[in-house]
Order: sequence, then C-alpha cells, then structure tokens
Amino acid sequence: MFQAAETVSATLAAPLDETGLIRAAQNGDQEAFERLVREYDQAVLRIAINILRSPDEARDVYQEAFLKVYRNLSSFRFDCSFHTWLYRIVTNICLDHLRRRKVRKEESTAVETSDGPVDRLLQLREEGPHSDPERQTWNQELAGGIAHALAGLTPRERTVFELRHYEGLRLRAIGDMIGTTEEAAKNCLFRATQKMRMSLETFV
Amino acid sequence: MTCLDATKEIPNYCYGEISSETEETLEAHLADCAVCQKELARHRKFLELLDERDAMVDAGLLVECRNELSRAVRRQIAVEGSHSAGWRGWQRATEYLRDLSRVHIPFRIPVGAMALMFLGFLAARYTPEKFGGVREALAAPMFSSVSSVEPDASGQVQIAVDQTRRRLVSGTPEDPSIQELLVSGVNDGTNPTVRLRSIQILHEAPSNNADSQQVCLALRGALDHDPSAAVRLKALDGLKQCATDAAVRTTLANALRKDDDPNVRMKAIDLLAAHHDDSIVGVLQSLVQREDNPYVRGQMTQMLAQFNASPGTY
Repeated sequence: MFQAAETVSATLAAPLDETGLIRAAQNGDQEAFERLVREYDQAVLRIAINILRSPDEARDVYQEAFLKVYRNLSSFRFDCSFHTWLYRIVTNICLDHLRRRKVRKEESTAVETSDGPVDRLLQLREEGPHSDPERQTWNQELAGGIAHALAGLTPRERTVFELRHYEGLRLRAIGDMIGTTEEAAKNCLFRATQKMRMSLETFV
Repeated sequence: MTCLDATKEIPNYCYGEISSETEETLEAHLADCAVCQKELARHRKFLELLDERDAMVDAGLLVECRNELSRAVRRQIAVEGSHSAGWRGWQRATEYLRDLSRVHIPFRIPVGAMALMFLGFLAARYTPEKFGGVREALAAPMFSSVSSVEPDASGQVQIAVDQTRRRLVSGTPEDPSIQELLVSGVNDGTNPTVRLRSIQILHEAPSNNADSQQVCLALRGALDHDPSAAVRLKALDGLKQCATDAAVRTTLANALRKDDDPNVRMKAIDLLAAHHDDSIVGVLQSLVQREDNPYVRGQMTQMLAQFNASPGTY
C-alpha cells in the first residue's frame, strides 16, 4: 500500500511476529508498518466509534492515531506492549476530541430518514452471518439497546468499559492510559456496568 | 463479607480484577448465599449478552480509513524524503570539508577545489524545484491541490497544499504490491473506470494471492458503497472466488436487500444460490414478497424451490 513495486517484501504472507514487525517498521519498512496497522486498525476504529459515538470523528482519530504511531514509532522502547501503547494514543486522542466537544452539545448519532430517525452507529454494524429473521430482529434490538446504554455513560465510563470489556485491557493499564489510579478505574467500571445493566434489564 | 460488598465485587470478579484474598472471601460468601449466587448468574448473563454485540466495523468505513492513511503516510514519506536528502547532502559536504583539515598541506588546495565542486554538485542535485532543480519534477509531474486556507492573527495566510507525484509502477497482477495498488484503485473515489479495471484485473489474477482477504474486503466495500452499478456488478464477479465466506454472504444478502439495480440483485442471487445455506432461505423468504422486479422475483422463487422452501413465511 505504501511502497512501490520494486521493493516487494515477502512479509505479507508470513505469520505475525509483532516484535520483528515493530523493529522492521522502526527501520523504515513500510510493509511492516502496514501489517501493524492491519493488525490493530479494526480495534482502533471500533474503540473510537464507541467512545466518540461519531463515525466521522472516529475516522479522524484513526488517521491521527496511526500517523502519530508512524512518526513516533522510533521512540517506542518495548517498555509496554505495542497494543497498550497504541490504545493509549487512541484513548488520548479520543479524550481530546471529547474535551473539544465539551463546549458544544454532544452530537446525536441519530439521522432522520424516510422511515423515521435511525442511529448511524447501528447502520454501521453489519448483520451477523446467521440470518434467521427473528434472530436478526433480536440482534438489531439488542444492538440498539447496547448503543442506548453506552450513550447513557459518561465519556470516561464509556472509555473504561470499552477498553476493559471489549478490548480486554487490565484496569491498571486503563488507569495509566486515562491518567488515573487502578482503584479509580475499577470504580468507574463498576458504575458503568451498573448503568449498563439497568439500561439492558429487559434483555437479561 | 456482606451481600452489599459481594455485589460490588462481582463485576471485578467476573473480569478477574480482584486480589486473591478478596476472591477467596467472595467465593466463601457465594458458597453460602443463594441471593449473591443469583446475582453472579445474572451478571454473567449480562456479560454474555454484551458479547453478542457485533464486533465488526463497517468494511466501507475501514477501507476509506486505510486509503486516507495510506495517502497521509505517502505524503509524510515524501516530506521526510526531501528533507533527509537535503540534510544528508549537507552533512556529507560538511564532513568532507572537515576532513580537509586532516589532509597534508600540499594536497589541500586541489582537494579543496574538488570539495567545492562536489558541494556544487550536491547543491544542484538537491535544490528544491522552485530554484531550478526540475529534473525530478519533469520525470514525475507534481499535482497540487489546496486542502485548507486559514488566515492567522498576524495577517498572514496558512495554506495547506496536498501534492501528489505521479509514478509509473508496473508488475504482474500476482505481485502483492501491484495487488495493493489495485485494491487502492478499487476505492478510487473519482474515476469509475479505474475502479472497474482494478476489479477486473484482481478478478482475473490467480486466486492464490498473498492477501486475498484484503482483496475480498475491498470488493465487499465496492459492492456495498460504489455509486456505479457497473462497478458493483464487477465486484460481484470478483467475489465469486470467496462466495462461501460468511462475511461475503452477508454483504451479498445486503446487496439483495438494498441495491436498487436489478442486475446487481440478480447476480447476488446467483452467487448466494451457488452454495446452499439455510440462513439465506429466511432472507429470500422475507424479500421475495416485496421484490418489485418480476425477473428478480422469479429467480428468488426458483432458488427457494431449489432449497425446498416455500416462497413465504407463515
């Protein structure tokens, strides 16, 4: 993607050796950088969409985060895992976006269509491979319920919840990322799960 | 431990985020408390429910993000390249001149003259285009577009100019780098002919390519979002080779639901029909009644008959 035909690398088909890829990317191997992007970019986009609740802003975060990685990869010293470093960059950019947005009213993700208001975030998600109509309807309702429940969280709660539940990060790492203690992150997660459970009570 | 304490610890317990002592205390409490056992079961069910949320992101959005990033990285490389070339040249020249001090006196003058000539050569080689260094520019024309104009408080204007340098890259369609470029071509927002040709070449290239998943993703994106029906039809041709893939079948079912071109819908049915799976029957049954094109409706009915399914839901 980033390089011309004369510098063909055979790395695309090889299994992922993350440390090797990072070192290669640090030495200017564009193919290695691209593989790193491919490895994590779906997660980055998903985190940004779910924290910011705006596909357009998530797209900006994607750009900003990976360009930051590209520019600063040489300073990555393997003190933490690459994904912790990357997710820290992504959450910081997301939080910056939220701070900038704070002065204005939080945008609604709903758009008006001929069928009434539709949540753009729900439109983004594809239907699962099991296309039983009843199951599909239930999935759509559940996705709507989860989106609604996530919208009811504060940005901080949403960030902690997203990183712990969907990305599987440890609370200590999350605390580091958002500049707080593990204990505070734990309390935040508790509040988030309580709110989510209340909001999704009809599904449980 | 009280029930209130246990309730507070249950979420952390489920995530494995409590200390071993707290875990032991909580488990001891749970062993004796039916209410908290129930609470734990409910919390686990809630977590399972959350995991049913579709974790996939929109393929079209992802492809757009990747393309934008690709362009941004290329711009960055171009900027770094021009800076580092100039900087390397200057470094080489100064190192060379510094070395002169270590050369024996009788050789200083001719060596100094050669060094100045070398410096002149470097200057000519690396001077930016606006000062006359046009060889590179003539070989590779530069295209510019103004992406933003911002006046600042001091009365100056900041203009962001995006520059693209055209290069001719050639290779066989099986070459992974050529395939990467073809995938970018599939997503070219401005030129439908480029998109069409890119898909055609990808489709005709041998299927054992190194990154067929990436090709598949780009084709799915084209089928989902491309404004040109011809491109969407061509994308369907390309998707034939991965038509058994669950994600591709979802994209095909979406095309069947949403695409306003009956030819695209017909072709989507062909691909779906080539591999029998029960989940498609439900989709067809729900669509056949509201399909307004008689040919497409006929094909759906025929496919349902082939799957031994009735043309309606009861």
